[in-house]
Amino acid sequence: MSTDPALAATGTEFSSDVARELQKEGGIGPYRLAARRLARNKVALAFGALFALIVVMCLLAPVYAHDIAHTGPNDEHITQVIKVAGKPTDVLSPVGIPIGPTWHGRFFLGADGSGRDVAVRLLYGGRNSLEIGIEATFITILLASILGIVGAYFRGPLDGLISRAFDLIWAYPVYLLGIALGVTLQLQGLDLGVFKIKGSSLVLTALIIGFVFIPYVGKPIRGQVLVLREREFIDAARQQGLGSLRIMFGEVLPNVASTIIVFIPLILANSILTEAGLSYLGAGVQDPNPSWGTMISDGIRLIPAAIHLVLVPGLMLVLAVLGINVFGDGVRDALDPRARIRIEH
Amino acid sequence: MTRYLRSIGAVLVALVLPVVMGACGSSSSGPTVTVVQGTAPDYLDPSQGYTTQAANSSWVSYLGLYTYAHASATAGGQVIPAIATAPPKVTGGGKTYTITIRKGLKYSNGEAVKASDFLFTIERAIKLNWGGAAYFTGNIAGATDYSKGKSNTITGISANDATGQIVIHLTAPYGAFENVLAFPSAGLLPSTTPMTPQDTSPPSGFGPYEIKNVVPNQGYDVSLNPSYASQAIPGVPAGHVNIHVKIETNTTTEAEDVLNNSADVFDWGDTVPPSLLPQVQSQAASRYASEPTALVLYFFMNIKEKPFDNILARKAVIMALDRNALSRLDSGNITPGCYFLPPTLVGHPSTPCPYGDPSKSPNIAAAKKLVAEAGLTGYPVTVWGEERQPRKEYIDNYAATLNEIGFKATTKIIASTQYFPTIGTLKSHPQTGFADWQQDFPNPFDFYLLVDGSGISQVNNENFGEINDPFINSEIKALTPVLSSQLSSVASRWEKLDEYVAKKAYLGVFGYEKVPKFTSTRINFSQAIFHPVYGLDYTSLTLTK
Repeated sequence: MSTDPALAATGTEFSSDVARELQKEGGIGPYRLAARRLARNKVALAFGALFALIVVMCLLAPVYAHDIAHTGPNDEHITQVIKVAGKPTDVLSPVGIPIGPTWHGRFFLGADGSGRDVAVRLLYGGRNSLEIGIEATFITILLASILGIVGAYFRGPLDGLISRAFDLIWAYPVYLLGIALGVTLQLQGLDLGVFKIKGSSLVLTALIIGFVFIPYVGKPIRGQVLVLREREFIDAARQQGLGSLRIMFGEVLPNVASTIIVFIPLILANSILTEAGLSYLGAGVQDPNPSWGTMISDGIRLIPAAIHLVLVPGLMLVLAVLGINVFGDGVRDALDPRARIRIEH
Repeated sequence: MTRYLRSIGAVLVALVLPVVMGACGSSSSGPTVTVVQGTAPDYLDPSQGYTTQAANSSWVSYLGLYTYAHASATAGGQVIPAIATAPPKVTGGGKTYTITIRKGLKYSNGEAVKASDFLFTIERAIKLNWGGAAYFTGNIAGATDYSKGKSNTITGISANDATGQIVIHLTAPYGAFENVLAFPSAGLLPSTTPMTPQDTSPPSGFGPYEIKNVVPNQGYDVSLNPSYASQAIPGVPAGHVNIHVKIETNTTTEAEDVLNNSADVFDWGDTVPPSLLPQVQSQAASRYASEPTALVLYFFMNIKEKPFDNILARKAVIMALDRNALSRLDSGNITPGCYFLPPTLVGHPSTPCPYGDPSKSPNIAAAKKLVAEAGLTGYPVTVWGEERQPRKEYIDNYAATLNEIGFKATTKIIASTQYFPTIGTLKSHPQTGFADWQQDFPNPFDFYLLVDGSGISQVNNENFGEINDPFINSEIKALTPVLSSQLSSVASRWEKLDEYVAKKAYLGVFGYEKVPKFTSTRINFSQAIFHPVYGLDYTSLTLTK
């Protein structure tokens, strides 16, 4: 990320492109300028709106379940018979084949292999996937920022320790580490004295995903802070007698904020994908809680008879991740058009 | 003239040669049918094979001292003498078995069958780590020492080739030992067989068939043994057709092949995909049937843990189980039931179930009332289950049922490979969860090990409900020494015991698995025997035309 010396004095780190525009625009702030740039990116906004729509739909899951489908996400209707086009139809046939989409309130998208309403589970599954994604992103960003800034600022043995910890986590493929932690912790839960999480809790999955992504954000932040700590404005702050804590979070943090902001949608998209992957493999969200990953996993054995069981959650997953990614690219371009930030694992 | 003779000779050679060559390639005559198997046998060497696919071929290719009657249902569970002349003479308080073998029998390679081959066969199975070797090492005196290398032979077996007599000393009386002797891995092998795995070139044996032409993961032949017919054992028929087993890992293709008559037999160890089942049932109704097996499916309830230490809670669960719903989760492949012993086994009670007809809808209201009466409404229950489908679905349904009757149930699903070791560790204190049991052999004793109080152990425990009932324990102790061949004499006692277990609501039995008997139109379906231990009996296969 290149910087303009004039801007550096203000303590805010933006690309020279943004800096030139800022000079052109006069008194406008860098974030406001980024917002203006984002507003001009119609494609990014459209995908952002798509993601927002999915979020709203998922948040309204209880309303849909209660007032339209009249069934909960885990309610089984295995031996129930419903009328479709005036004809009595088994929700689950005697040989276990579920009813397909009815395009009516009940079983709008059909039933799954346990006679549960797919549409209701899809929305509740989305809630769970998004909840985990958001929590995991929060955990990753928070811990990675603190560790990256603290390590790079203090250098020495502390930095060595943090860097080696990053290397250690980085050395494991994300999914392998996620599965190993998921399978182990699900059985016993997490018990750290006062801090206890049940094995079936969604927070545990969020914690695992948040943990495995820490080095992917922590390392770039650390690299950036290593450069920043040598800059004049940091020296000036030190000369003024400011404490380390104040310098780190009052001077350094605002300068890496744009990087952090760019990382948020990327980590969110990756967290949702990882959650789906882990849940598909049985190391994420636990039954009977729905998630898009568990729904795909449950539907696999019935693909020849009921392909919608796999297609529908798969499509929702694709749309949600596409929405965040394209919107995230827009945010990145707005903040720093020349930056190329990617999560590679 | 010489020229003419040469020409005639050449023509004769040309005509005879293909016949001779053909005979060299396959010594067996008769038509060939194709069996499609989704999973290849683990091993085709009988001293190693332990899966149903392996046993399906080896039980007709390697006869032992004893075997099972070639019949369906309960009759097929009857142990009959094969190479032995008669049932064993049991002395020494049930610890000494004296057996005499038939004279003049010859293996498929022409070697004579000797009494000492039995000792060799058991030693070979132990040396090659057969999966069920514990049945030998745990029962035959000196077999453990042999397996640990402390002895050069199994001291508990003596054989006299001159008289054909075999004497086996057991470490303790064990009535099901005849069943152990009927395992295909105890099928006699010539002593000249190498003491190394012969998986691609299975050893010679004695039986109606012989296994040949093995191409790993592709297929193998189970061909008629031409020398068997002349020395056939009473009750073990010679086969009518040669079998070619083709490995087809895609079960949809496997089912389609049989449906379209491009293969003849669908492996009973596989499941017809639910998407094809309606088509199979409508288009092939005369050649498809669901056959019961001795696999019981149940939910264990830990009687040492609250709430299932209370019989009212257990009764409530049994009354509330929706067995028809559970069957649909397994593509309709479950016969609803409430007794621990499957219907194919001696000892399965004929009396009605104590807590309602299992084939009818559950009585949720009564179950809810019982839970409330016991003061257990809202009591938390963790339901353990495994990841594998449809077992995970059983657990979801079971947890929903528990919630419906007033408990506060949550599920704990763990990886299938870890499931039984985890719930088998006593310190896990599983409250309730899924369990199943498939017979090792058709003897009620094989099932009742799972509710024997003396069998509860800290690790690898199989009595998940920690049932330790003095009546059950004493009955098991009394019935254990009864010989398999005399099982029918104690059938009513087993029935009473099974009724007692059901009445005490110790196990939430929900049914018995059914498997497919599915053939092409070429096979005479009604004559094909579905054996309760080894599935479709190859010796019973005949062609319609």
